Amino acid sequence: MKKSIQKIFDTQRRHFEAKGRFHSLASFFESIETVFFATDRVTETGPQVRDSLDAKRYLALVVLSLLPALCFGIYNAGYQAHKAAGLATTFVPVFIQGMTIVLPLVIVSYVVGFSWEILFSALRKHPVSEGVFVTAMLFPLTLPPTTPLWQAALGISFGVVIGKEIFGGTGRNFLNPALTGRAFLFFAYPASMAGDKVWTAAVRMTDAAVDAIGSATPLALSAAVNTTDGVEAALSSAGYSFSTLFFGRYPGSIGATSTFMCLLGVIFLIIVGVANYRIVLGGVLGILATGGLFNLLAADAASSFWTMNPLYHLVMGGAAFGLAFMATDPVSAPDMNGAKWIYGLLIGGLTVVVRLLNPAFPEGVMLAILFMNLFAPLLDHAAVSLRLKKRMPNV
Amino acid sequence: MIPVRVKQGYQLKMEGAPTRDLVVLDTPAKVALLPEKIGFIRPRLAVSAGDRVKVGSVLFSDKRNSDIVFLSPGTGTIEDIRLGPRRVIQSIVIELAANEDREHFNALDERGLAGMDRATMVSKLLSMGFWPRIRTLPFRDIASPAALPPKIVVTLNDLESFSPSPAVYLSGREDLFVFGLKALGRLTEKILVAVGTENAAMGKTISEMCPEIEICTVDGVYPALDPGVVVYHTKAGREENRSWFVDGQDVLMLGELLTTGEYPTERIMVVAGPMAREKRHVKTRLGVPLADLVGSAGLLEGACRYVVGGVFTGFRSGPEGFMGFYESALALLPEGADREFMALFRPGYNKPSFSRTFLSVFNRKPLASNCSTHGEERACIACNYCPSVCPVDILPQLAYKCVLADDIDGALSHGLLDCVACGLCSYVCPSKIELSEVLSAARDNYYREQSQ
Repeated sequence: MKKSIQKIFDTQRRHFEAKGRFHSLASFFESIETVFFATDRVTETGPQVRDSLDAKRYLALVVLSLLPALCFGIYNAGYQAHKAAGLATTFVPVFIQGMTIVLPLVIVSYVVGFSWEILFSALRKHPVSEGVFVTAMLFPLTLPPTTPLWQAALGISFGVVIGKEIFGGTGRNFLNPALTGRAFLFFAYPASMAGDKVWTAAVRMTDAAVDAIGSATPLALSAAVNTTDGVEAALSSAGYSFSTLFFGRYPGSIGATSTFMCLLGVIFLIIVGVANYRIVLGGVLGILATGGLFNLLAADAASSFWTMNPLYHLVMGGAAFGLAFMATDPVSAPDMNGAKWIYGLLIGGLTVVVRLLNPAFPEGVMLAILFMNLFAPLLDHAAVSLRLKKRMPNV
Repeated sequence: MIPVRVKQGYQLKMEGAPTRDLVVLDTPAKVALLPEKIGFIRPRLAVSAGDRVKVGSVLFSDKRNSDIVFLSPGTGTIEDIRLGPRRVIQSIVIELAANEDREHFNALDERGLAGMDRATMVSKLLSMGFWPRIRTLPFRDIASPAALPPKIVVTLNDLESFSPSPAVYLSGREDLFVFGLKALGRLTEKILVAVGTENAAMGKTISEMCPEIEICTVDGVYPALDPGVVVYHTKAGREENRSWFVDGQDVLMLGELLTTGEYPTERIMVVAGPMAREKRHVKTRLGVPLADLVGSAGLLEGACRYVVGGVFTGFRSGPEGFMGFYESALALLPEGADREFMALFRPGYNKPSFSRTFLSVFNRKPLASNCSTHGEERACIACNYCPSVCPVDILPQLAYKCVLADDIDGALSHGLLDCVACGLCSYVCPSKIELSEVLSAARDNYYREQSQ
């Protein structure tokens, strides 16, 4: 195994070396080779020894943490499709059905995203960054299962190129590339990204039946109901009890329905030290506090949505996924620990504000994170200035 | 005793640490002085190849201040003066004679020391060749004899792998050490001796012998005992940024130099590292050839890197190299250029890391390190490891970006001059960015521009 893989790289290496045909793709070759074989580079300058961790492993851990959400997303997409079509909902056929729905999106996202990365690395002479592996995994998980493949390709292209590469590539982007792509699709193709009919893939059904399957997502439902019994009861009677919402077996974006899987992923990321707990906790606190504030203001409000238990905001829509995986993207988040708290709190707060106040956008977490991405440098600037003021000058 | 706590830093538990055994090596055939590795000096040679020199003869002086002289660590003939690119003097190699005679200086006793004024002590230290061992923060250049330091910091620094332990070089010689401290006390009002918590008992002994000296016990991991870190965490005002510092073993040398009137040529060093068969302390000559040290320790099979000085701050050398003027350790490390298969997917129970991304977080044993970068260079991904390891609270990633943007004022306000060049930011960086190198170069350039 080792020898045969080594042979492939050894025989192909000459094409990527100084005089080879594909010399401009040398960094692509290097990035693939170092997946299998660790680098042979040794230190040139001090310190003579270096940490065993590299960016590749760091980012691979993010992909690893997304696997529970991906697997559940595959299962859920298949389950919702079978349920709507009145087919059996046993695990194996449902999971296989889910794979036929989800995997094409993931594959398209990877192929297109990685192609852009290679193209830009060749043109702009920067190394192929592993960041695109994370982006290309995050992006399809935010999509509705019915997204056409060409739209997925367009979205990831926008995310990688406009969200990242034109600013200089990974590490220099100020927006989260996956969310940028998702936002682009949301505004460019609202018909495939919002509404009641996009959240369940149609399998083996007539057109008439497809028209009938539409069911409101929990967020859309909560925004629409006007009842004195409480939104929770309305959700429950529609089949969205708190535990259903928490574990995620309801129609929604592929990877974002299960708060539980997002929780698993983010706990793993916090333990290994890749995600920062301040952002996540700040976000949760922001959602609960703002939700609670709206509870207090709700007395004479038009919509009973305002009276909803703030905990429901955490388990509905993409809040958990966004806080766990999008807000914690270290590049587009602030660097300073104090700024991270503010950043998280405001993401949480804005999410609830958008949800409750803007009828055009049932989901607010995407916009809240992108908006706070823009403010991250400002928060950092304030935090750094405060910190430097405390320093005894040495000039 | 003042307790000081340094919260940040990182102790790399590295395989190949030296034992406390001390072996006396045979006299080497040659010794050398490496002017290239001595800070900012501009050497003016006082000898040429073929000249006969004695222990304590002047080999060269510093063009910036010709009172600062560097003395010969051996008696014999100058075998070679090796020049590097742009005629930088790399090394002055002395072939040792069988019988070594020495230059004699006036010895001092306690009474003579007590009655001595500052100017006399300065000129004595200059002519006796000790002055270059007194350096000043923040640039770590040799102290200016005309300046009055706010304080002198002496560190018994053994936190960096693998530096000589004070338990080996100091025990039983405390009287010489205290004599050296008292001599330094002629230069300034305030002497601060920093010891690690492990050596607190030694600090107590010193303070009993010499109560006017301040002792601080530093609780922390590498590089908590670096003089720059000690000053950063103890300074009461801005003027202390210009403190002087002397290494513990050099104070011992000063004591010996003054009491005997002869330039000491012996020093306790460490030969260690995963590639050394015998990892231990050795007593040998200043400027000893590395080949002699390696010969005494024995070398394991495989590509080996010679690191003179500590593993983090030392410089790279080879079998034909010599020990530096300030260094007293040789680490023999595996090069580590072989490509590990599927390294990305391994849980890494045996891989040392500052992060928590390997199972080695559960492994408390010393781990094997080599000179591999363990990854290719990438853009900064804002992992925030470097600011959480920096012992002097710099935000290295931001100071680095200031330097790249040519914003030297920004870098200075970030604390560029507090940087102790410990190398930890480069060590922890998953994107393998040469932070420490860039910051050190910016600082050195700033100093050169200032002093023009």
